[in-house]
Amino acid sequence: MRITVTRSGGFAGIVRNATLDTRQQSDAAELTDLARTALEEGRGAPGPVVPDGFFYEVEIDGEMLQWADPHLTAAQSALVKKVLGEGSPGGAP
Amino acid sequence: MTLCHFAGMDAHSKRTGQTRRVHAVFCPIVPPHVLDHLSRSGDPVLYEPARRTLEHDALQRTRRRITTVRMTAGPAAPGEAPEAEKKPRRTISDAEHREQLPGTKVRSEGEDPVDDASVNRAYAGLGATFELFLKAFSRFSIDGAGMPLDATVHYGEKYGNAFWDGERMVFGDGDGEVFRDFTLPVDVIGHELTHGVTQHTVNLAYFGQSGALNESVSDVFGSLIKQYGLGQSADQADWLIGDGLFTDRVEGVALRSMKAPGTAYDDDVLGKDPQPATMEDYVHTGSDNGGVHINSGIPNHAFYRLATGLGGNAWERAGRIWYDALTSGDLAPDADFAAFAGATVSAAASRFGEGGPEREAVVKSWSAVGVSPAEQAPA
Ligand SMILES: [Zn+2]
Repeated sequence: MRITVTRSGGFAGIVRNATLDTRQQSDAAELTDLARTALEEGRGAPGPVVPDGFFYEVEIDGEMLQWADPHLTAAQSALVKKVLGEGSPGGAP
Repeated sequence: MTLCHFAGMDAHSKRTGQTRRVHAVFCPIVPPHVLDHLSRSGDPVLYEPARRTLEHDALQRTRRRITTVRMTAGPAAPGEAPEAEKKPRRTISDAEHREQLPGTKVRSEGEDPVDDASVNRAYAGLGATFELFLKAFSRFSIDGAGMPLDATVHYGEKYGNAFWDGERMVFGDGDGEVFRDFTLPVDVIGHELTHGVTQHTVNLAYFGQSGALNESVSDVFGSLIKQYGLGQSADQADWLIGDGLFTDRVEGVALRSMKAPGTAYDDDVLGKDPQPATMEDYVHTGSDNGGVHINSGIPNHAFYRLATGLGGNAWERAGRIWYDALTSGDLAPDADFAAFAGATVSAAASRFGEGGPEREAVVKSWSAVGVSPAEQAPA
Protein backbone atom coordinates (compact mmCIF):
# COMPACT_ATOMS: atom_id res chain seq x y z
CA MET A 1 0.00 0.00 0.00
CA ARG A 2 1.34 3.39 -1.04
CA ILE A 3 0.42 6.48 1.01
CA THR A 4 1.22 10.07 0.10
CA VAL A 5 0.51 13.02 2.41
CA THR A 6 0.72 16.68 1.45
CA ARG A 7 0.19 19.07 4.33
CA SER A 8 -0.39 22.75 3.57
CA GLY A 9 -1.62 25.79 5.49
CA GLY A 10 -0.76 26.18 9.14
CA PHE A 11 0.50 29.33 10.84
CA ALA A 12 3.75 29.08 8.90
CA GLY A 13 2.16 28.25 5.54
CA ILE A 14 4.97 25.81 4.82
CA VAL A 15 4.08 22.78 2.66
CA ARG A 16 5.30 19.33 3.72
CA ASN A 17 5.06 16.28 1.52
CA ALA A 18 6.02 12.62 1.95
CA THR A 19 5.32 9.15 0.58
CA LEU A 20 5.49 5.86 2.40
CA ASP A 21 5.18 2.33 1.04
CA THR A 22 3.85 -0.03 3.70
CA ARG A 23 5.66 -2.99 2.09
CA GLN A 24 8.98 -1.45 3.12
CA GLN A 25 7.90 -1.06 6.73
CA SER A 26 8.52 -3.54 9.52
CA ASP A 27 5.03 -2.74 10.90
CA ALA A 28 3.37 -3.18 7.49
CA ALA A 29 0.29 -5.02 8.80
CA GLU A 30 -0.45 -2.47 11.52
CA LEU A 31 0.14 0.40 9.16
CA THR A 32 -2.17 -1.07 6.52
CA ASP A 33 -4.89 -1.45 9.18
CA LEU A 34 -4.37 2.14 10.30
CA ALA A 35 -4.60 3.39 6.71
CA ARG A 36 -7.79 1.39 6.08
CA THR A 37 -9.42 2.83 9.21
CA ALA A 38 -8.30 6.36 8.29
CA LEU A 39 -9.66 5.84 4.79
CA GLU A 40 -13.04 4.59 5.96
CA GLU A 41 -13.38 7.47 8.39
CA GLY A 42 -12.07 10.04 5.97
CA ARG A 43 -14.01 9.73 2.72
CA GLY A 44 -16.39 12.60 3.47
CA ALA A 45 -15.87 16.34 3.25
CA PRO A 46 -12.88 17.67 5.22
CA GLY A 47 -14.90 19.86 7.61
CA PRO A 48 -14.73 23.64 7.73
CA VAL A 49 -11.32 25.23 7.32
CA VAL A 50 -10.19 27.17 10.40
CA PRO A 51 -7.66 30.05 10.28
CA ASP A 52 -4.11 28.65 10.40
CA GLY A 53 -5.39 25.07 10.49
CA PHE A 54 -3.42 22.39 8.64
CA PHE A 55 -4.98 21.02 5.47
CA TYR A 56 -4.09 17.50 4.31
CA GLU A 57 -4.33 15.92 0.88
CA VAL A 58 -3.89 12.21 1.30
CA GLU A 59 -3.57 9.55 -1.38
CA ILE A 60 -4.03 5.93 -0.32
CA ASP A 61 -3.55 3.41 -3.13
CA GLY A 62 -4.75 5.92 -5.71
CA GLU A 63 -7.75 7.18 -3.72
CA MET A 64 -7.62 10.94 -2.99
CA LEU A 65 -8.85 12.34 0.34
CA GLN A 66 -8.96 15.79 1.94
CA TRP A 67 -8.78 16.32 5.67
CA ALA A 68 -8.58 19.51 7.74
CA ASP A 69 -7.56 20.22 11.34
CA PRO A 70 -9.07 20.05 13.92
CA HIS A 71 -11.44 17.48 12.45
CA LEU A 72 -9.11 14.49 12.07
CA THR A 73 -9.93 11.20 13.77
CA ALA A 74 -7.26 9.49 15.88
CA ALA A 75 -6.43 7.13 13.01
CA GLN A 76 -6.17 9.93 10.46
CA SER A 77 -3.97 11.95 12.76
CA ALA A 78 -1.69 8.99 13.50
CA LEU A 79 -1.41 8.18 9.81
CA VAL A 80 -0.40 11.66 8.62
CA LYS A 81 2.11 11.87 11.48
CA LYS A 82 3.61 8.53 10.53
CA VAL A 83 3.87 9.32 6.81
CA LEU A 84 5.23 12.85 7.26
CA GLY A 85 7.62 11.62 9.95
CA GLU A 86 8.92 8.42 8.35
CA GLY A 87 8.07 8.64 4.66
CA SER A 88 10.45 9.88 2.01
CA PRO A 89 9.97 13.50 0.94
CA GLY A 90 8.21 14.07 -2.36
CA GLY A 91 5.59 12.17 -4.34
CA ALA A 92 3.09 14.98 -4.60
CA PRO A 93 -0.26 13.84 -5.96
CA MET B 1 -37.03 31.59 2.05
CA THR B 2 -36.81 30.22 -1.47
CA LEU B 3 -35.39 26.81 -2.11
CA CYS B 4 -32.60 28.07 -4.32
CA HIS B 5 -30.95 31.46 -4.31
CA PHE B 6 -28.91 33.47 -6.74
CA ALA B 7 -25.50 34.56 -5.64
CA GLY B 8 -24.79 37.52 -7.87
CA MET B 9 -21.26 38.80 -7.69
CA ASP B 10 -19.13 41.00 -9.87
CA ALA B 11 -16.27 39.10 -11.44
CA HIS B 12 -13.47 41.33 -12.52
CA SER B 13 -10.98 40.18 -15.11
CA LYS B 14 -7.59 41.74 -14.67
CA ARG B 15 -6.57 40.63 -18.13
CA THR B 16 -9.42 42.29 -20.02
CA GLY B 17 -10.12 45.01 -17.45
CA GLN B 18 -13.78 44.17 -17.66
CA THR B 19 -16.24 43.59 -14.90
CA ARG B 20 -19.12 41.27 -15.59
CA ARG B 21 -22.08 40.23 -13.51
CA VAL B 22 -22.11 36.52 -12.85
CA HIS B 23 -24.82 34.48 -11.25
CA ALA B 24 -24.43 31.19 -9.54
CA VAL B 25 -27.40 29.16 -8.49
CA PHE B 26 -27.00 27.04 -5.43
CA CYS B 27 -29.65 25.32 -3.43
CA PRO B 28 -29.39 25.57 0.35
CA ILE B 29 -29.57 21.79 0.40
CA VAL B 30 -25.86 21.79 -0.40
CA PRO B 31 -24.32 21.80 3.06
CA PRO B 32 -21.55 24.32 3.78
CA HIS B 33 -18.90 21.65 4.21
CA VAL B 34 -19.66 20.26 0.76
CA LEU B 35 -19.44 23.77 -0.67
CA ASP B 36 -16.18 24.14 1.15
CA HIS B 37 -14.97 20.90 -0.38
CA LEU B 38 -16.11 21.97 -3.86
CA SER B 39 -14.51 25.37 -3.42
CA ARG B 40 -11.17 23.60 -3.15
CA SER B 41 -11.73 21.44 -6.20
CA GLY B 42 -9.30 21.88 -9.07
CA ASP B 43 -12.17 22.25 -11.55
CA PRO B 44 -13.35 25.86 -12.01
CA VAL B 45 -16.82 24.62 -12.98
CA LEU B 46 -17.09 23.21 -9.48
CA TYR B 47 -15.16 25.66 -7.38
CA GLU B 48 -16.26 28.98 -8.84
CA PRO B 49 -19.97 28.77 -7.96
CA ALA B 50 -19.16 27.06 -4.66
CA ARG B 51 -16.76 29.81 -3.63
CA ARG B 52 -19.21 32.47 -4.69
CA THR B 53 -21.97 30.89 -2.66
CA LEU B 54 -19.72 30.58 0.37
CA GLU B 55 -18.77 34.21 0.00
CA HIS B 56 -22.37 35.21 -0.43
CA ASP B 57 -23.45 33.32 2.67
CA ALA B 58 -20.58 34.82 4.65
CA LEU B 59 -21.64 38.25 3.42
CA GLN B 60 -25.20 37.74 4.63
CA ARG B 61 -23.98 36.56 8.01
CA THR B 62 -21.71 39.56 8.42
CA ARG B 63 -24.43 42.01 7.36
CA ARG B 64 -26.72 40.56 9.99
CA ARG B 65 -23.99 40.73 12.59
CA ILE B 66 -22.95 44.26 11.68
CA THR B 67 -26.55 45.42 11.94
CA THR B 68 -26.85 43.85 15.37
CA VAL B 69 -23.55 45.28 16.55
CA ARG B 70 -24.42 48.77 15.37
CA MET B 71 -27.76 48.68 17.09
CA THR B 72 -26.19 47.79 20.40
CA ALA B 73 -22.99 49.84 20.08
CA GLY B 74 -22.45 53.41 21.21
CA PRO B 75 -20.88 55.05 24.24
CA ALA B 76 -24.22 56.11 25.70
CA ALA B 77 -25.47 52.55 26.13
CA PRO B 78 -26.87 52.39 29.65
CA GLY B 79 -25.55 49.65 31.88
CA GLU B 80 -22.31 49.34 29.95
CA ALA B 81 -19.28 48.89 32.19
CA PRO B 82 -16.95 51.89 32.49
CA GLU B 83 -13.52 51.44 30.88
CA ALA B 84 -11.77 50.77 34.21
CA GLU B 85 -14.14 47.92 35.02
CA LYS B 86 -13.55 46.17 31.72
CA LYS B 87 -11.39 43.20 32.60
CA PRO B 88 -10.41 40.09 30.68
CA ARG B 89 -11.97 36.73 31.51
CA ARG B 90 -9.28 34.21 30.66
CA THR B 91 -9.34 30.44 30.84
CA ILE B 92 -6.40 28.25 29.86
CA SER B 93 -6.87 24.53 29.27
CA ASP B 94 -4.36 21.74 28.77
CA ALA B 95 -4.97 19.19 25.97
CA GLU B 96 -2.32 16.93 27.56
CA HIS B 97 -0.89 16.11 24.12
CA ARG B 98 -4.14 14.78 22.77
CA GLU B 99 -6.07 16.35 19.90
CA GLN B 100 -9.27 16.91 21.84
CA LEU B 101 -10.64 20.34 22.63
CA PRO B 102 -10.90 22.08 25.00
CA GLY B 103 -8.87 19.81 27.36
CA THR B 104 -8.61 20.19 31.13
CA LYS B 105 -8.99 23.62 32.70
CA VAL B 106 -5.69 24.58 34.38
CA ARG B 107 -5.77 28.34 35.02
CA SER B 108 -8.69 30.77 35.22
CA GLU B 109 -8.88 34.54 35.52
CA GLY B 110 -7.24 35.92 38.65
CA GLU B 111 -5.56 32.63 39.62
CA ASP B 112 -1.86 32.48 40.46
CA PRO B 113 0.69 31.34 37.90
CA VAL B 114 1.14 27.57 37.65
CA ASP B 115 4.30 25.50 37.15
CA ASP B 116 3.67 25.13 33.43
CA ALA B 117 5.34 27.98 31.48
CA SER B 118 3.19 27.42 28.36
CA VAL B 119 0.05 27.98 30.44
CA ASN B 120 1.44 31.18 31.96
CA ARG B 121 2.63 32.50 28.60
CA ALA B 122 -0.79 31.89 27.03
CA TYR B 123 -2.47 33.61 30.01
CA ALA B 124 -0.14 36.63 29.75
CA GLY B 125 -0.48 36.77 25.95
CA LEU B 126 -4.27 36.81 26.15
CA GLY B 127 -3.95 39.65 28.66
CA ALA B 128 -1.58 41.62 26.42
CA THR B 129 -3.96 41.23 23.48
CA PHE B 130 -6.97 42.28 25.57
CA GLU B 131 -4.99 45.29 26.81
CA LEU B 132 -4.00 46.60 23.36
CA PHE B 133 -7.50 46.35 21.94
CA LEU B 134 -9.01 48.06 25.00
CA LYS B 135 -6.41 50.80 25.53
CA ALA B 136 -5.61 51.67 21.94
CA PHE B 137 -8.98 51.09 20.27
CA SER B 138 -11.52 50.98 23.14
CA ARG B 139 -12.52 47.49 22.05
CA PHE B 140 -13.81 45.34 24.89
CA SER B 141 -12.39 41.90 24.10
CA ILE B 142 -12.57 39.99 20.82
CA ASP B 143 -16.21 40.62 20.02
CA GLY B 144 -16.34 44.14 21.50
CA ALA B 145 -18.75 42.89 24.15
CA GLY B 146 -16.47 41.30 26.74
CA MET B 147 -16.28 37.80 25.28
CA PRO B 148 -14.29 35.35 27.45
CA LEU B 149 -10.81 34.55 26.17
CA ASP B 150 -10.09 30.84 25.95
CA ALA B 151 -6.92 29.02 24.99
CA THR B 152 -5.74 25.44 24.88
CA VAL B 153 -2.03 24.57 25.18
CA HIS B 154 -0.12 21.28 24.63
CA TYR B 155 -2.43 20.35 21.77
CA GLY B 156 -1.36 17.11 20.08
CA GLU B 157 1.98 15.40 20.12
CA LYS B 158 4.95 17.36 18.80
CA TYR B 159 2.35 19.50 17.07
CA GLY B 160 4.06 22.28 15.09
CA ASN B 161 1.19 24.70 14.75
CA ALA B 162 -1.26 27.10 16.37
CA PHE B 163 -4.73 27.94 15.10
CA TRP B 164 -8.00 29.69 15.88
CA ASP B 165 -10.93 27.24 15.83
CA GLY B 166 -13.62 29.90 15.72
CA GLU B 167 -13.97 30.06 19.52
CA ARG B 168 -10.57 29.51 21.09
CA MET B 169 -6.89 29.65 20.30
CA VAL B 170 -5.04 26.36 20.19
CA PHE B 171 -1.28 25.89 20.61
CA GLY B 172 1.02 22.97 19.94
CA ASP B 173 4.40 22.45 21.60
CA GLY B 174 6.22 22.43 18.25
CA ASP B 175 7.85 19.42 16.64
CA GLY B 176 11.21 20.25 18.23
CA GLU B 177 12.90 19.91 14.83
CA VAL B 178 11.70 23.07 13.12
CA PHE B 179 9.40 24.71 15.63
CA ARG B 180 9.53 25.36 19.35
CA ASP B 181 6.49 25.97 21.57
CA PHE B 182 3.95 28.19 19.78
CA THR B 183 3.17 30.11 22.98
CA LEU B 184 6.71 31.58 22.98
CA PRO B 185 6.23 34.66 20.74
CA VAL B 186 3.54 37.03 22.03
CA ASP B 187 2.83 38.17 18.46
CA VAL B 188 1.76 34.60 17.61
CA ILE B 189 -0.75 34.68 20.49
CA GLY B 190 -1.94 38.10 19.33
CA HIS B 191 -2.17 36.81 15.75
CA GLU B 192 -4.50 33.97 16.74
CA LEU B 193 -6.80 36.15 18.87
CA THR B 194 -6.97 38.75 16.11
CA HIS B 195 -8.49 36.04 13.89
CA GLY B 196 -11.34 36.24 16.39
CA VAL B 197 -11.58 40.04 16.00
CA THR B 198 -11.69 39.67 12.21
CA GLN B 199 -14.34 36.95 12.53
CA HIS B 200 -16.49 39.31 14.62
CA THR B 201 -16.05 42.28 12.27
CA VAL B 202 -15.53 41.88 8.50
CA ASN B 203 -15.29 38.07 8.64
CA LEU B 204 -12.89 38.11 5.68
CA ALA B 205 -13.31 34.92 3.65
CA TYR B 206 -10.31 32.67 4.16
CA PHE B 207 -9.07 32.27 0.61
CA GLY B 208 -7.47 34.39 -2.09
CA GLN B 209 -6.97 38.11 -1.44
CA SER B 210 -9.60 38.34 1.32
CA GLY B 211 -7.86 35.41 3.02
CA ALA B 212 -4.46 37.07 2.68
CA LEU B 213 -6.02 40.21 4.24
CA ASN B 214 -7.38 38.07 7.07
CA GLU B 215 -3.86 36.75 7.64
CA SER B 216 -2.29 40.20 7.33
CA VAL B 217 -4.68 41.79 9.83
CA SER B 218 -3.61 39.09 12.32
CA ASP B 219 0.08 39.77 11.64
CA VAL B 220 -0.43 43.55 11.93
CA PHE B 221 -2.21 43.43 15.30
CA GLY B 222 0.00 40.57 16.51
CA SER B 223 3.01 42.79 15.90
CA LEU B 224 1.29 45.81 17.51
CA ILE B 225 0.57 43.75 20.64
CA LYS B 226 4.27 42.99 20.91
CA GLN B 227 5.27 46.62 20.24
CA TYR B 228 2.74 47.96 22.76
CA GLY B 229 3.97 45.56 25.43
CA LEU B 230 7.59 46.48 24.84
CA GLY B 231 6.83 50.20 24.48
CA GLN B 232 8.54 50.28 21.09
CA SER B 233 8.02 52.96 18.47
CA ALA B 234 7.70 52.00 14.79
CA ASP B 235 11.41 52.54 14.13
CA GLN B 236 12.44 50.48 17.18
CA ALA B 237 10.24 47.47 16.37
CA ASP B 238 11.64 44.39 14.59
CA TRP B 239 8.46 43.89 12.52
CA LEU B 240 9.00 40.13 12.66
CA ILE B 241 6.28 37.52 13.10
CA GLY B 242 7.26 34.46 15.12
CA ASP B 243 10.69 35.59 16.30
CA GLY B 244 11.99 32.81 18.58
CA LEU B 245 9.73 30.12 17.12
CA PHE B 246 12.34 28.37 14.99
CA THR B 247 14.78 25.94 16.63
CA ASP B 248 18.50 26.66 16.33
CA ARG B 249 18.67 24.18 13.46
CA VAL B 250 16.73 26.47 11.14
CA GLU B 251 18.46 29.16 9.11
CA GLY B 252 16.08 32.03 9.73
CA VAL B 253 15.15 34.80 12.15
CA ALA B 254 11.36 34.38 12.13
CA LEU B 255 8.43 33.16 10.04
CA ARG B 256 7.64 36.43 8.35
CA SER B 257 9.07 39.92 8.08
CA MET B 258 6.72 42.84 7.56
CA LYS B 259 9.70 45.12 6.97
CA ALA B 260 11.22 42.92 4.26
CA PRO B 261 8.80 40.16 3.19
CA GLY B 262 10.65 37.21 1.66
CA THR B 263 13.73 37.52 3.89
CA ALA B 264 12.64 35.88 7.17
CA TYR B 265 14.26 32.50 6.47
CA ASP B 266 16.32 30.69 3.89
CA ASP B 267 16.88 27.11 4.94
CA ASP B 268 18.00 23.83 3.31
CA VAL B 269 14.95 21.95 4.55
CA LEU B 270 12.27 24.67 4.64
CA GLY B 271 13.35 26.50 1.51
CA LYS B 272 13.19 30.27 1.26
CA ASP B 273 10.53 32.60 2.72
CA PRO B 274 8.10 32.88 -0.23
CA GLN B 275 6.40 36.15 0.74
CA PRO B 276 6.11 38.93 -1.84
CA ALA B 277 6.28 42.60 -0.84
CA THR B 278 4.46 43.98 -3.88
CA MET B 279 1.66 43.05 -6.31
CA GLU B 280 4.23 42.44 -9.02
CA ASP B 281 5.27 39.28 -7.20
CA TYR B 282 1.78 38.15 -6.09
CA VAL B 283 1.83 34.35 -5.89
CA HIS B 284 -0.98 32.50 -7.66
CA THR B 285 -1.38 29.09 -6.06
CA GLY B 286 -4.14 26.69 -5.12
CA SER B 287 -2.30 25.59 -1.99
CA ASP B 288 -2.86 27.20 1.45
CA ASN B 289 -6.31 28.52 0.44
CA GLY B 290 -4.73 30.43 -2.41
CA GLY B 291 -1.54 31.41 -0.61
CA VAL B 292 -3.11 33.29 2.31
CA HIS B 293 0.13 33.03 4.34
CA ILE B 294 2.19 34.07 1.31
CA ASN B 295 0.41 37.06 -0.20
CA SER B 296 -0.25 38.57 3.23
CA GLY B 297 3.27 39.95 2.74
CA ILE B 298 1.82 42.67 0.47
CA PRO B 299 -0.66 44.30 2.92
CA ASN B 300 1.83 43.60 5.73
CA HIS B 301 4.45 45.66 3.97
CA ALA B 302 1.97 48.46 3.22
CA PHE B 303 1.25 48.68 6.96
CA TYR B 304 4.95 48.70 7.80
CA ARG B 305 5.51 51.55 5.30
CA LEU B 306 2.66 53.57 6.79
CA ALA B 307 3.73 53.03 10.40
CA THR B 308 7.38 53.89 9.79
CA GLY B 309 6.45 56.75 7.46
CA LEU B 310 4.25 58.35 10.13
CA GLY B 311 6.72 57.55 12.92
CA GLY B 312 6.00 57.31 16.65
CA ASN B 313 3.99 54.45 18.13
CA ALA B 314 2.52 52.33 15.34
CA TRP B 315 -0.71 51.58 17.22
CA GLU B 316 -1.60 55.28 17.62
CA ARG B 317 -2.14 56.32 14.01
CA ALA B 318 -1.34 53.47 11.56
CA GLY B 319 -2.99 50.88 13.85
CA ARG B 320 -5.96 53.16 14.44
CA ILE B 321 -6.51 53.55 10.69
CA TRP B 322 -6.35 49.77 10.12
CA TYR B 323 -8.70 49.17 13.06
CA ASP B 324 -11.16 51.80 11.80
CA ALA B 325 -11.15 50.19 8.33
CA LEU B 326 -11.82 46.78 9.86
CA THR B 327 -14.74 48.06 11.93
CA SER B 328 -16.14 50.61 9.45
CA GLY B 329 -18.84 48.29 8.14
CA ASP B 330 -17.80 49.32 4.62
CA LEU B 331 -16.00 46.09 3.79
CA ALA B 332 -17.51 42.91 2.43
CA PRO B 333 -16.17 39.49 3.46
CA ASP B 334 -14.77 39.02 -0.04
CA ALA B 335 -12.89 42.36 0.01
CA ASP B 336 -9.74 42.34 -2.09
CA PHE B 337 -6.56 44.35 -1.45
CA ALA B 338 -7.88 47.37 -3.39
CA ALA B 339 -11.15 47.42 -1.41
CA PHE B 340 -9.31 47.17 1.90
CA ALA B 341 -6.86 49.87 0.81
CA GLY B 342 -9.84 52.08 -0.09
CA ALA B 343 -11.32 51.56 3.36
CA THR B 344 -8.01 52.57 5.00
CA VAL B 345 -7.87 55.77 2.91
CA SER B 346 -11.43 56.66 3.99
CA ALA B 347 -10.64 55.77 7.60
CA ALA B 348 -7.57 58.01 7.59
CA ALA B 349 -9.59 60.89 6.12
CA SER B 350 -12.46 60.53 8.60
CA ARG B 351 -10.25 60.31 11.66
CA PHE B 352 -7.38 62.64 10.80
CA GLY B 353 -8.80 64.92 8.10
CA GLU B 354 -9.19 64.83 4.33
CA GLY B 355 -6.10 66.94 3.68
CA GLY B 356 -4.02 65.54 6.52
CA PRO B 357 -0.63 63.87 6.22
CA GLU B 358 -2.13 60.55 7.41
CA ARG B 359 -4.42 60.13 4.41
CA GLU B 360 -1.60 60.99 2.04
CA ALA B 361 0.74 58.56 3.80
CA VAL B 362 -1.82 55.75 3.46
CA VAL B 363 -2.14 56.33 -0.29
CA LYS B 364 1.65 56.37 -0.63
CA SER B 365 2.09 53.14 1.33
CA TRP B 366 -0.36 51.22 -0.85
CA SER B 367 1.17 52.70 -3.96
CA ALA B 368 4.59 51.43 -2.83
CA VAL B 369 3.27 47.85 -2.86
CA GLY B 370 1.44 48.27 -6.17
CA VAL B 371 -2.13 48.50 -4.85
CA SER B 372 -4.51 51.23 -6.09
CA PRO B 373 -7.10 51.90 -3.38
CA ALA B 374 -10.67 51.39 -4.61
CA GLU B 375 -12.95 54.43 -4.52
CA GLN B 376 -15.22 54.39 -1.48
CA ALA B 377 -18.87 55.24 -1.82
CA PRO B 378 -19.50 58.52 0.07
CA ALA B 379 -20.88 57.82 3.53
ZN1 LIG C 1 -3.41 33.23 10.85
